[in-house]
Amino acid sequence: MIDLDLGAPLDRHRATVLPDWIDWNGHMNVGFYVVAFDKATDTLCAQFGCSWEYTRDKIGMTFVLEAHVTYDQEVKEGDALRITSQILDHDAKRLHYIHAMYHADEGYLAATNELMLMNIDYATRRSAPWPDFAMERIEKLAAAHKKLPVPRQAGHLIGIKKKK
Amino acid sequence: MLDSLPYELPELVTRAPFDIHRSTVLPEWVDWNGHMNVAFYVTAFDQASGAFMRNMGLGRRYVDGKLGMTFVLETHVTYDREMRQGAPMRFATQLLERDAKKLHLFHEMFHAEQGYLAATNETIVMNIDYASRRSAPWPAPVAERLEVLWQAHAALRRPVKAGRVMGLSRK
Repeated sequence: MIDLDLGAPLDRHRATVLPDWIDWNGHMNVGFYVVAFDKATDTLCAQFGCSWEYTRDKIGMTFVLEAHVTYDQEVKEGDALRITSQILDHDAKRLHYIHAMYHADEGYLAATNELMLMNIDYATRRSAPWPDFAMERIEKLAAAHKKLPVPRQAGHLIGIKKKK
Repeated sequence: MLDSLPYELPELVTRAPFDIHRSTVLPEWVDWNGHMNVAFYVTAFDQASGAFMRNMGLGRRYVDGKLGMTFVLETHVTYDREMRQGAPMRFATQLLERDAKKLHLFHEMFHAEQGYLAATNETIVMNIDYASRRSAPWPAPVAERLEVLWQAHAALRRPVKAGRVMGLSRK
């Protein structure tokens, strides 16, 4: 397993907006923000040994139960992205976390993605507790992330605000 | 505000929920878990939003004519059941709220043959002026259609999965 990175938030994921990710509005399409965020989830899961090899070796999988995205500013083809990840909460089977996507050169916040992830047993394809090796690392990461303020986008209720 | 649109609008479908959009899970939407990847649920739902927007008169011609665009501000997805490659999808869309510039939609995705609920998507869409790339009121004919749709959809019950805030419920 890779070395544990207890920097908070986790700030290891980098990406570039690909030509295929652009829609007729000339910017990254809403679906591909989630493609980019899902790859940042892989980077986070690699921290506790539950990324690609976890599934390749038929140990387990991780399924997303729920996701919330805020689209804060446009990004265009070729833009460099920096994605940070913050663990908000966890239990025996689940992980609650939020990603923030920044334009890596200009620094602005482009989007956030709050997620609920569940550990899945490979054979039964049903929820199962995190393996011990993963839980040990999740505990350490969660403890390191706990000192961070909760981003305002976390727990946001979607809706159209009524003017008073 | 645009007072008119320089193209003919499609016949308005007022049946509520809006149950027109159909799609299929494409091979490139499947990930290493052997099911539709989380991101492509959002792509599939975005296409369902597109169908709803076309019904309002905001299709491709709206963008190609450099009149305006629609941007998603926020989206919330519940992943209820897996979908495999080739699975047929049926979408039902409910208008939850609207104002002068924005829409609040609630989509349900069903497996079209087996009937089960696969996912839901709640989304806020905003009208954008093409030139300034900033928010703008709906064009007048669209605002008119929106009010007709609102009358039809306002009678529907609010979906149970709408308005969710994410968190781990403690036992």
